[in-house]
Amino acid sequence: MAVMFAAREVRKVYDMGTVQVHALRGVSFEIEQGEMVAIMGPSGSGKSTLMQIMGALDKPTGGAVFLDGEDITTAPDDRLAEIRNRKIGFVFQQFNLLPRLTAVENVELPLMYAGVGRAERRRRAIELLERVGLGHRLHHRPNELSGGQKQRVAIARALANNPAVILADEPTGALDSRTGAEIMALLKELHAQGNTVVIVTHDREIASHAERIIHIRDGLIVEDERLSAGRKKPYTAGDGPSGQGGSGAAS
Amino acid sequence: MSVLDTIRTAIHSLRANPLRSILSMLGIIIGVAAVVSVVSIGTGGQQQVLANIGQLGSNLITVMPRVPRGTAGRVQQDVRSMFTVAMAEDMERLLPDVINVVPVVTTRGRLVAGGVNVQATLVGVTSPYTEVMNYRVADGRFISEWDVSAQQPVIVLGAELAKDLFEDADPVGQEIIAVVGNRRQVLRVVGVMEPRGQAMGGDLDSQAYLPVSTMMDRIMKTRSVSYFAAQARGSERAAEAVAQVEFFLRRRLGSTDYFRVISQDQILETMSAVTQTLSLMLGGIAGISLVVGGIGIMNIMLVSVTERTREIGIRKALGAKRRTILFQFLVEAVTLSALGGVLGLALGWVGARVIGYIGGWPGVVTAGSVAVALGFSTAVGLFFGIYPAMKASRLDPVQALSFE
Ligand SMILES: Nc1ncnc2c1ncn2[C@@H]1O[C@H](COP(=O)(O)OP(=O)(O)OP(=O)(O)O)[C@@H](O)[C@H]1O
Ligand SMILES: [Mg+2]
Repeated sequence: MAVMFAAREVRKVYDMGTVQVHALRGVSFEIEQGEMVAIMGPSGSGKSTLMQIMGALDKPTGGAVFLDGEDITTAPDDRLAEIRNRKIGFVFQQFNLLPRLTAVENVELPLMYAGVGRAERRRRAIELLERVGLGHRLHHRPNELSGGQKQRVAIARALANNPAVILADEPTGALDSRTGAEIMALLKELHAQGNTVVIVTHDREIASHAERIIHIRDGLIVEDERLSAGRKKPYTAGDGPSGQGGSGAAS
Repeated sequence: MSVLDTIRTAIHSLRANPLRSILSMLGIIIGVAAVVSVVSIGTGGQQQVLANIGQLGSNLITVMPRVPRGTAGRVQQDVRSMFTVAMAEDMERLLPDVINVVPVVTTRGRLVAGGVNVQATLVGVTSPYTEVMNYRVADGRFISEWDVSAQQPVIVLGAELAKDLFEDADPVGQEIIAVVGNRRQVLRVVGVMEPRGQAMGGDLDSQAYLPVSTMMDRIMKTRSVSYFAAQARGSERAAEAVAQVEFFLRRRLGSTDYFRVISQDQILETMSAVTQTLSLMLGGIAGISLVVGGIGIMNIMLVSVTERTREIGIRKALGAKRRTILFQFLVEAVTLSALGGVLGLALGWVGARVIGYIGGWPGVVTAGSVAVALGFSTAVGLFFGIYPAMKASRLDPVQALSFE
């Protein structure tokens, strides 16, 4: 399988003037295409920092990250914007939907920045929302949606440009455990469809849905754990895409 | 991202906060309205002035004695004394393109009719005065040639003056006492002039007209006149007429320093220049308010950028490039200012009409002032929008995303 991510001795130092915070102290790993990986560690261990660097939102202080063979630590700003737009789908703990836009308009955003025409954009956004079970909430604004529904909109948005990888930072962090399990089921389904999924979490329970857990502590990888492949852990709520329990998805 | 998408996004953002959008436009609205109405007042006022000058008389040439700079009272006396009725007659007789040279004598005096007592300007003239000044009698008759040659004690009243002295009664045939200095003269009213309104060269309506001979010999005891009001043979002969008058006077008085010839063309030119300068100045002041409006927009845009830091972070995470963000915020600023320009234009047009209605001239809004107002407001939006937009586009995505 092709290597999707290759991190080489990635370091990140936050210079706070008097003190320097070493968030990452030389992290190296590879993630292959189609993998579902959890990056796990306690609070402050550098998980989010790593994800921001992998997602081309931030640049490391040292080392390099290759995405699909391209060094994303030296690319110019405009290229980084393109990489974020085409190759990466972000899912955030706080959803990060634009409050004034409807669900379908939020999903259209990455398509708009990719230069997709209006009609095509709308068609694809509706398709994506239907895929995450929100075909009946197209024109709702974020404040008219439940937490789980918001995260589904965010996942649909992350998928908009068929990204190479989905980066999810604590995607269940703002959700109750049952809704969180539904979201995990959705991410697993996307993985089953061939997407590369990276999930950042401090929760062993969430991490155990992945095939592999990269343990990180104080800015260093302490363990690269491979769980026996596939559905080792049963879903805790619902069972795959067709059985999205209480989410109220239209069939 | 297409230009159309950017504009749509910008308008969407502005519509999310309509009250703020309107308030931030207010400065531009007022600025543009001020520019448009001030320019309109200038143009309308100028047309009014030109119309007034046109009323003054067909091809009027005014000839006045002038005291050269640096000379004392003696010389002045000499020059003035050479402006006589005889000289007027000579000019009329000798100059081929000049007709109707009217010697004019003016003085302030008191007119008494019954119990009413009014201060007025008394003007001694000859009968062609009405033709030269393009002035008409409403009631009775004007000063006749015989009145002048026989020094008749008659008087013709301006419309306003007639009203002041006699209210609604018919003044023609009534007697009036003119008091100038310590001299009194009983005069018979023979006519009332048509109202003329405020015109260049004084308010004709509140003046009284007498035979020039009566004024000079019976009331003022003087031999010289105040000025000559002459008429060119036709507008196409006006320049020649002026040249002939100047030639004649230089010969008679010895120098061009001792007189001044003012033709209608000159007045037109001077007045146009004056009103244009005035419009420009007022327009400039109004333009400053446009700049102030621009600063208002900049202020709002800066607040907006700060408030929407997280939105900017999200957009960047989703693939918006720097220039996309820059363009979005710039379009918002320009949309605000251009829309403000359009609203200001509408307001200015209404203002121009209202002020024109009050001032009695058409409230003209020229294509030029429309173009300048819209062009300027758009430019103001661009200029003051660029800084906030740059600030937005330069935000670091990670920091913007973690903004509370
Ligand atoms: N912008 C920043 N400036 C300074 N220090 C930072 C900044 N961002 C993160 N850090 C520090 O870097 C370290 C790693 O932070 P990071 O957010 O990556 O942790 P995390 O593993 O995601 O923690 P959590 O599970 O609480 O989200 C922490 O000590 C944090 O205080
Ligand atoms: Mg974190």
